[in-house]
Amino acid sequence: MPRMPKRIKFRKQMRGKLRGNATRGNFVAFGEFGLQALESHWISARQIEAGRIAAQHFLRRQGKMYIRIFPDKPISKKPLETRMGKGKADTDFWAARVKPGTMLYEIAGVEEGLAKEALARIAQKMPVRCRFVGRRITV
Amino acid sequence: MKHETPTISATLRERVGTRYCRRLRQQGKLPGVIYGHKTDPVSVAVDEKTLLPLLRLGAHAMYVEIEGRPRETCLVKDLQFGYLGDNVIHVDFTRVDLQEEVTVNVHLAFFGSAAEAQKADAILQQDATELSVTCKVSEIPGEIRVDLSQMEGNHLTAGEIELPEGLVLADDPQTIVASVTFAHPEEEAVGEEADVAADGAEPEVITEAKADEEAG
Repeated sequence: MPRMPKRIKFRKQMRGKLRGNATRGNFVAFGEFGLQALESHWISARQIEAGRIAAQHFLRRQGKMYIRIFPDKPISKKPLETRMGKGKADTDFWAARVKPGTMLYEIAGVEEGLAKEALARIAQKMPVRCRFVGRRITV
Repeated sequence: MKHETPTISATLRERVGTRYCRRLRQQGKLPGVIYGHKTDPVSVAVDEKTLLPLLRLGAHAMYVEIEGRPRETCLVKDLQFGYLGDNVIHVDFTRVDLQEEVTVNVHLAFFGSAAEAQKADAILQQDATELSVTCKVSEIPGEIRVDLSQMEGNHLTAGEIELPEGLVLADDPQTIVASVTFAHPEEEAVGEEADVAADGAEPEVITEAKADEEAG
């Protein structure tokens, strides 16, 4: 089921800009391996869900998967063959804002090879270039 | 697992700042700083290929040798990472005595298998990857080994881990370190049905609900 917020303060949002790199959520925090975005983009709720299904079918209930992004931005779209004007259109889909460095998915409890394969399947469903990463050094 | 305090050599950095640090990194060196013990901070550069493998092995304390200066005993206090969040770009060392008590995060190495995890549809989750402990600098272990076969029930807490001698737990003893959860096969089917129902679903708008109340 594509995810979306339960409650929102305002029905529509301005488009905004995706400048710079991710400064939060840019390292593996919950699992052992992760899929990191290398480009900025809006990732729709359907794409996030497609990634989740692709990986979970491959993993067959092994390990645990964490989705680190949430589609909290409503994207509106005018219907086809509509004249311009008449106010902002209705929400078409929900998207997550992703900047270079954002951790998209994490996997725990499986071997590296299996995690790599599962995350590669997710990467196929993403509209951005991604890379496979492990946990970083901690002190 | 305790290991000997390693020694690394460092050079003094006379010129500091972004541009000079960037040039150092291109030469395979890592800019750093040594501070603490009421002595002036010193900007240094260390060899990246020497330091990073040591950190990966869990080394916290090390001797830093700087040419023309007495050897300093240091603890790696902080690391700075690049924009993708995994490449180390700067290291902070703090001066310590080997007999000083410090609080550090030590990596957890899990081994064995929990009895609960052997059941059908069980998923073993490692909820924590490191534990905060207080000990003498000379006694900091590279890792803490956690035997999962000793897990009673569905979870293992930090307080239940047998710590090596000289280590005191600094984290909350109730912190869950590992747990066993069970996957429910019916969850996926419910999710697909809900998908159809959710197509026309819209989130509740808080501000509109408030406006209605005020009007009513």
